[in-house]
Formats: sequence, C-alpha cells, structure tokens
Amino acid sequence: MAEKTKNVGKGFSGRQPGFWAAAFALAMCAIAFAEHRGLLGGWRSLPFVAAATLFLFPLTKAANNRQAAAGALSPATRRYNRRMLIWSLGYVLCLGIAMTVRNYLHPQGALLWGIAVLPSVPMIFFVWTLARYVVEEEDEYLRYRQTSAALIGLALVLLAGTLWGFLETFGVAPHVPAWWVVPVWAIGLGLGQMVMTSAERRTGRT
Amino acid sequence: MKNRLKVLRAERDWSQQDLADRLEVSRQSVNAIETGKYDPSLPLAFRIAELFDMRIEEIFLRG
Repeated sequence: MAEKTKNVGKGFSGRQPGFWAAAFALAMCAIAFAEHRGLLGGWRSLPFVAAATLFLFPLTKAANNRQAAAGALSPATRRYNRRMLIWSLGYVLCLGIAMTVRNYLHPQGALLWGIAVLPSVPMIFFVWTLARYVVEEEDEYLRYRQTSAALIGLALVLLAGTLWGFLETFGVAPHVPAWWVVPVWAIGLGLGQMVMTSAERRTGRT
Repeated sequence: MKNRLKVLRAERDWSQQDLADRLEVSRQSVNAIETGKYDPSLPLAFRIAELFDMRIEEIFLRG
C-alpha cells in the first residue's frame, strides 16, 4: 500500500524531480563539452562527474516526495528509488576506478579486460533492481505504470540505437560508444514516467 | 470499462485515500480505476466487490 503524503518539502529542497534531473543532465553536458574542448578528459573529468552525481541525492528525495504527494509511494517504490541511487553511485565509482587504473597502471591482458568490464557490472544491478521492483510491488497499478515506463525507455534505446547505427553505417554520423545505451535508457525511463503522468492528467486525475 | 466506484465511495463518504487504505492499494490506483484509466485485475475486482458487499458486475459495467 502506498505511503501517505508527509513532509513534502518546500523551497529549494522541495523542487520537482525534473529540476534535479535537468541539473544532473546539464552538468554532464557541461563536462562533455569541456572534454570536447580539451579542458577535461579521462581521469581529470572524474571529480566533476562525481560532483554532478551528487545531484542524484536530491533527485531521489524529490522523486520520493512527489510520489508520496501523488499517493503513489509504495514500500517497493521506495526500495526501487534507493537501489537505483546506490547503483548509480556504484556506476560512477566503478567508472572512476577503471579509468584511474587504466591511466596510472596502463594494464594489459586480463587486468585490462577486468577494468573494461567493471563499469558494466552496475548495469546488472540496474536490471536486477527493475526485476525486483516488478516482483516486490504489490500494487498492480503502480507495477503497470512502472513497467510501461520501462518499455518506453526500451523503445527509445532500440529506436535511437537502430537509427544511429544506420547513420554511422552510411557515414553521415560520427561513431558513438555503445555504453550510451545507459543514459539513453535512463532518459527514456524518465520520459516514460512523464508520458504516464500526462495520460493520467488527460483523464482528469492527479 | 465504466464503474460505479466514485458513486459508491461518495455514498459512504469515503475519500480516495480511505478507499485505498481499505483495499490496501495506492490512492493513485483508486484514482486510475475510478476514472476508467485502468481496469483492475480479477483478484482486486473481487476485493472491491467484497468491500462494498456487492457483485462485481454491479460495480463494473460493460462499455
């Protein structure tokens, strides 16, 4: 059963999740731009990426508050939000370790393979988190809502990946590393939530 | 699928949260069912019917 609304923050701490998601996205875009201009790159970007990751804390808190206000914060949802936060931090940590080891130790062979695989490990737990949510969520409508949002995220990954792949094949677009599927999927998941909320508002709810 | 959930709830002077608490679902679920956005599963439909002491087809209507 969903938890009742309580202590929905006001002012700075009570901002909408979209604000913190946008702040996180803008920070990452600024880092990418700085890397493109040669101001940052490799391990030098890590402190900035770590700082940008801090936006995920208020984002998670704002998401919890918003879901509570909408009468949609179940215990399973709270666990899902917490696990996603933990593994997002894990992703940044693994990425940082891998890049640091590569830049300072210049590994070869098995160690190089190991650190190349390391940033992918948290992805296993992202998928596990989503699977656990579907299993643990007792509220069938919330489960339907989250599953629909995840499918929208998957659709965006498939469409964007296929489109960009062909653009690359025909030589009209630059190469983009395959690990971009993670941020694209995360954006799709967020868009999916917005689509579901918009559909609810059209039927005179929320 | 149409339903009489809002009317039945109003007759008992229950808020959406009251009904949600009794059904052990989220308020958003009650909202979604009431507005016809979401059709409940058979087990939940039975729980709703039992709560109002009615048959399912007296609460949920075709069309």
